[in-house]
Formats: sequence, structure tokens, C-alpha cells
Amino acid sequence: MATGNITSAIDSLSAAIHCNIIPQHEYLLQGSILDSQVEHLLHRLKGLCDNVDAGPEPFHDHEVCFSLRAPNQATPTLLLRVRKANDVDAPYQLRYIGQQEVGDRTRPTLVRNSLDIACTSTVVEYLQELGCRIDFEYTNRGYMFRKGRMKITVSKIFKMGGIPTKPGETYTEAISQSYLVELSVLAPTGQDGIGKDMMMFAEQLKPLVQLEKIDYKRLGNIP
Amino acid sequence: MQREEKQRESMLDALQTRLNDLKVAIGAMIHKIETEYETINWPTFLDNFALISSHASLTGLTKILSHEMGTPLRNLTVLPLMLSPERDEALMQLTEGRIAVFSHDMVPDYLRTKPEPTAEQRMLQHEQKANSLIAETAIKQVAQYTKIVSHVFDSVSKAREEWEVESSTRSGIQQTSSMTDTHTLVSAIGMGKGLKGIMPPVGGPAGMIPPSIRPQASMSSVSPSGTSQIGKAPSAIKTNIKSANQIHPYGR
Repeated sequence: MATGNITSAIDSLSAAIHCNIIPQHEYLLQGSILDSQVEHLLHRLKGLCDNVDAGPEPFHDHEVCFSLRAPNQATPTLLLRVRKANDVDAPYQLRYIGQQEVGDRTRPTLVRNSLDIACTSTVVEYLQELGCRIDFEYTNRGYMFRKGRMKITVSKIFKMGGIPTKPGETYTEAISQSYLVELSVLAPTGQDGIGKDMMMFAEQLKPLVQLEKIDYKRLGNIP
Repeated sequence: MQREEKQRESMLDALQTRLNDLKVAIGAMIHKIETEYETINWPTFLDNFALISSHASLTGLTKILSHEMGTPLRNLTVLPLMLSPERDEALMQLTEGRIAVFSHDMVPDYLRTKPEPTAEQRMLQHEQKANSLIAETAIKQVAQYTKIVSHVFDSVSKAREEWEVESSTRSGIQQTSSMTDTHTLVSAIGMGKGLKGIMPPVGGPAGMIPPSIRPQASMSSVSPSGTSQIGKAPSAIKTNIKSANQIHPYGR
């Protein structure tokens, strides 16, 4: 019964993908900027991006990564992310991020499959019922900019837990002395041209930030 | 140097032929006016004139002059090496009887050692004006001018100094991002490195997670030592790939 449902869902999904309407590929460049320099970057982004009048859009998200493990296996087989806005009343976001493709030198950005679905708050319970477990979680606070199809986020990553500094706060410790900078575009299949645009935009942020495609697999070996 | 001279020579040759063409054309026109002034009609005359001004001579001449290679002609000086009041037959022949003597009277006009009459007149005017000035006023004006110039120079050099200092300090604070931090952040949000195993205390302000599932999760994901956790992270990615393939068989 359950498998039958999944197949039909995949059928309709593949039909939709066939029509090339789902923005399922995420083109991504990542970098960071030191806390002391972040004002410079925000200033520059304010000038470069579309939302000039409104100013940068602040966000404060809490993200939990769930993993689904096969029975008797230590390594997770599926990772799903649930994201919740702490500052505004918005639906929860369930996100699947697929294998990232670094590609060769000719490919300007990292490409990975990405599916975002808006959910109600019961998604946490639902995932738990499916057998998912919390792998890790963090809060993410910063600013978002837009430039055409491109999304630029400048955010600080905080660890969850520990002793709250103020009542009502659950994070205490930042992961590093830098802000994470991400430049991403969600696009349907076959729009590789966007990579060039992103590259050009990344050039404009140099030398403040070095936006690059970063290979997670290689990072695993760095202590 | 030799190449330049050759170039100049060939250019002069070209100019000469053009000039000769022009001379012949003008001569023919004058001849026409003088001999056929009773029969010639206006259109024919205009045609003739158009022929002279068109590419055959005048335009060609300016073209050669504008495409000058090497040193432009106007930068060169012509010097009269020998002047004599005697009649020169060779010169007479060369100029078709126009100039018989190459003497001190002719040189200023023909070699342009004298400025053009209009220019000369203006020069004279300026000189007169300068002479009529009282020395005292002149000195005063010069001093004033010097003052202004030195003031401008001062402000320019000051601005330059400031600019240089600014640019040097700017290069001093080049370090705006750290690769290590980038890697830390990316691996943290990508694989949960440094985030795993730090779970808020049960019953605390839990955000979106029901407290009931927290202890289990933390127990299963905390590994006894830090090193094994690092080793575990890449393998987690690998299995993730596999599962991705299973779920999305259509791939790309």
C-alpha cells in the first residue's frame, strides 16, 4: 500500500519534472566574511542588489536536520531538513538536498538537487513517526538580498543548546568568527547559463568575500 | 632611422605627383577660362572644378597628409642653406619662370620663416598690450598668479598624500574573510560538523522540537570520540547519494 502511494507520487513528480517546471536544481556558491568586515559587505550588497529601497531583509531561522536510518545501520540513508522562521509567522519548510555535483573547472558553481516544500508544524512529528531522528540543528540569523533570480544570504550560524545567555534564548555559541555568505539560484533543469551570471556577481564581491564552490566530501578530511 | 627616411621620401614623392596633378588641372581650367570664355557653359565649368576638388587631387592630397607615417611634416624644419642675390637659371627652370632669384627677400615668404600676416598682426597687438603695462602692476599680477598656482598645487598634493595614505591602509586590512571559517561554516550546515551531539537540555526552550524525541536523537548521534565522528561524516554523504539515486531514478 505504502509503496504503491510512493510510486504514484513519483510518477506525478516525474511528469512535472518532464515538463521542466520544477526548479529542482540549486546552483550554489559559498564563502564567509569576518564579523568585523560584515558591515562592508552588507553595504556593498545594498548597492548591488534589487531590494535597494527596502534594505536588506533580516531573517532568523532554526534548522533541524533529520536523518532516516536503515534498521541496524549506523549511517543515515536520507537527510531531510526542516526550517522554521523564528522572527516571522511563516510555514515550516521541508527541504531535501541531493548529492552535490562539483564538476570540473569549466562549471562555475556547485549544482545540487534541491526540493523545498512548505509544511505545517506537524511535519516534525510526522518525520518522527516515519522513523527520522534529529541529526543536528542550528539557528541561522542574518540578512537576505535578491538580485534577479539570485539569492544572497549573509548569516551567522549558532549552535543550539548550552546555557542561554538571556531568558528565552536557546543559542549561545556561534560556530565561528565569521558570517556565512551564500549565493544561490533555484532553477529547472538545463539552465546552466545562470552559473555565469553568478560567477560575475561573485566577482563583484571580491576581495571582500571569496565565493567558491566547496566540496563537502573533501572538507570531511579537514580536521 | 633609415626606414623613417625612406618612408618620408616615398610620401614626398606621392605628394609631389598629387601636387603636379593639381597644378595641371588648375592650369587646364585657367586655360579653359581664358580661351573658351565665350562658349563654356556653367555646368561644364562646375564639372571641371568638381574634378579638381574630388579624389583626383585635393582629397587625395589631404588623405596622404592625414595618413602620414613617422614624423609629421609640420614638425620638420626647412632651412635655407644658401642664399644669393644672383639670378639662378636652374631655379628659374624648376619653377617655370616664377622665381628667378633665391634671395633674402623671397625666403621669408616661400619658406614660411615669417608668420602669416594675420598671426603677425595679432602678435603685434599682444606685444603692444604687454609693453603698455606698468612694470609695477605686472609684477603684482605675476605675484598674484604665482600665489594662486602654488595654492592649487598645495591642495592637489595634499589630496594626493591623503589618497596614498588611504590606499596603503586599505591594502593593510586585506584580510576580510577566512578560508578556515568558510570551511567550518559550510561543513557545519552541510554535515552538522561541530553541531552534532550538542543538544539543549530536556525541557528547555525547545523551539520546534518536542522534547520527547531529543534524548534518543542525541544518544544515537553522539559518538564516543571526536575522531570517529569526523570519519563518519563523509560516509554519511556517500549513503545519502545512494538514497538520492533510489528516490530519483530519472536523475538528469
